[in-house]
Amino acid sequence: MATPARHSLSRSRSLALSVLALISVAFLGGCVTVRPEQRSVLADPTMRFDGEELAQSQKKHALDNREGSTGGGGVSGGGCGCN
Amino acid sequence: MRLQLSALHLARVFVRSARLKAAALAVAMLTLAPDARAEVVDVDTAHTIFYEAPTRSHMFVYTPGLDLTVKPTSWLGVTAGYAADVVSGASVAVKAGPAYQNTHPGADVITAASVHDLRQVGHGGFSLTHGNTVYSAGYSYGTEHDYRSNAFFVTAKTDALEHNTEFEIGYAKNLDTVCDRTQGPNVTPSRAFALEDSNGCFTKDNALRSRRDITVDAFQGSWTQAWTPVLVTQLTYGVQIIDGFQSDPYRSVILGEGLKAQEHHPNDRARQSVTLRANYFIRPIRGVVHASVRGYDDTWDIQSITAELEFEKYFGDALRAALRGRFYKQTGAIFYSDDYSGGDKPLGPKGQYFTGDRELSPFSSITVGVRANYTFRRKEGNLFWLVESAKAGVSADAVQFSYDQFTLGGSAIGDARAFILGLSGGLVF
Repeated sequence: MATPARHSLSRSRSLALSVLALISVAFLGGCVTVRPEQRSVLADPTMRFDGEELAQSQKKHALDNREGSTGGGGVSGGGCGCN
Repeated sequence: MRLQLSALHLARVFVRSARLKAAALAVAMLTLAPDARAEVVDVDTAHTIFYEAPTRSHMFVYTPGLDLTVKPTSWLGVTAGYAADVVSGASVAVKAGPAYQNTHPGADVITAASVHDLRQVGHGGFSLTHGNTVYSAGYSYGTEHDYRSNAFFVTAKTDALEHNTEFEIGYAKNLDTVCDRTQGPNVTPSRAFALEDSNGCFTKDNALRSRRDITVDAFQGSWTQAWTPVLVTQLTYGVQIIDGFQSDPYRSVILGEGLKAQEHHPNDRARQSVTLRANYFIRPIRGVVHASVRGYDDTWDIQSITAELEFEKYFGDALRAALRGRFYKQTGAIFYSDDYSGGDKPLGPKGQYFTGDRELSPFSSITVGVRANYTFRRKEGNLFWLVESAKAGVSADAVQFSYDQFTLGGSAIGDARAFILGLSGGLVF
């Protein structure tokens, strides 16, 4: 039977392995180099994650205030105006 | 909206005569020429209307917003903005469930209270660029009749591996205050009175109003990766730690016979989420698939999953249109019950905390929507001397909520729908 200490060690080891895997995958990205002359599509407004930022944030604000799991999508403030 | 303030643009504005032209050019060259190519002003405006028809609320929220970004040099950016929520409708002031309603069939245990509020937020900040790294910081101040918010944030973003990889980390702190009903000495939560209205909030010498603090610490990290010339992904992890008064001060919950109390949430909450997003450009049809999935978990035992899919397509060079869908599902908070006065599980008391908040109940929602954006840009020269381009956008979304347990006085809500209409745009000078 796993003791709490062994269970905690196992969780820590899993977390460390996950972080290591994530970092490895991140640097694997360097192996897949997109050359500057190939980046025209990547520069298109439709390929940006922060495109139409104000309009998207307002829609997110409207939905977030009707759900119980907001947060983690950015830093924000100012109350909810939802009552 | 992007405003390019080059010496040439300024000169065009003031060209009326040879004398004025010479003067304008001289002024422009003296004041702006050294960094003319770096000077950019972006102005964005957006307006959203949210309307929730059922659940006795008829909640209507109009949200205008305006953002301004100025880049006087290549290494400095300054931002400022304003947003508001104009709220009118009704909210559930007293919550009970089917067990209580069965024994009190004539009682109106769902009292809808009229709500009129105005939330206003002003924000400002700056960014510094050094090499491949951008450092940003900002502050926002928000007011409502019953709420004050002070938020600070700092972020750092850098790219690597020939600009194919980007990392960003950020931290934000909220120091907020909410108005509450002053309770008598030694009053336990099960005897606490709810706030009647916002009259007297944040004023001096009102013995029936008090202030409660909420602090929020938020951390976030993201990794954006270009994998191919047409595929880019972003992985984001965020965590929030909230400490303070998190109940709705206006809402009461019926706990038993003759026992009604202001809802009582835990003061502490920690939440984390992971989001993976991907954009894939399909060259033959000039379309983009946007996909994202988000997982969420918190210490109130709410877990949720959100999946979004959007297809956006170019029609010509200026017009883009998109179809989108979103699925959301969450579990309920560990202390959520639709009726704390009794009944069979999942009804009944759930420990020391109680809530009437449907956002803490288990439910799912489906959103479908459309969006269109139009950008007008002249191939040569500007519109009206300074206008480089113009853009406009419109969107419409419909949301259908399905509540697993939440009822209004024991009656299930089958038509919980909301509609979101968005307009955005402006001029590019």
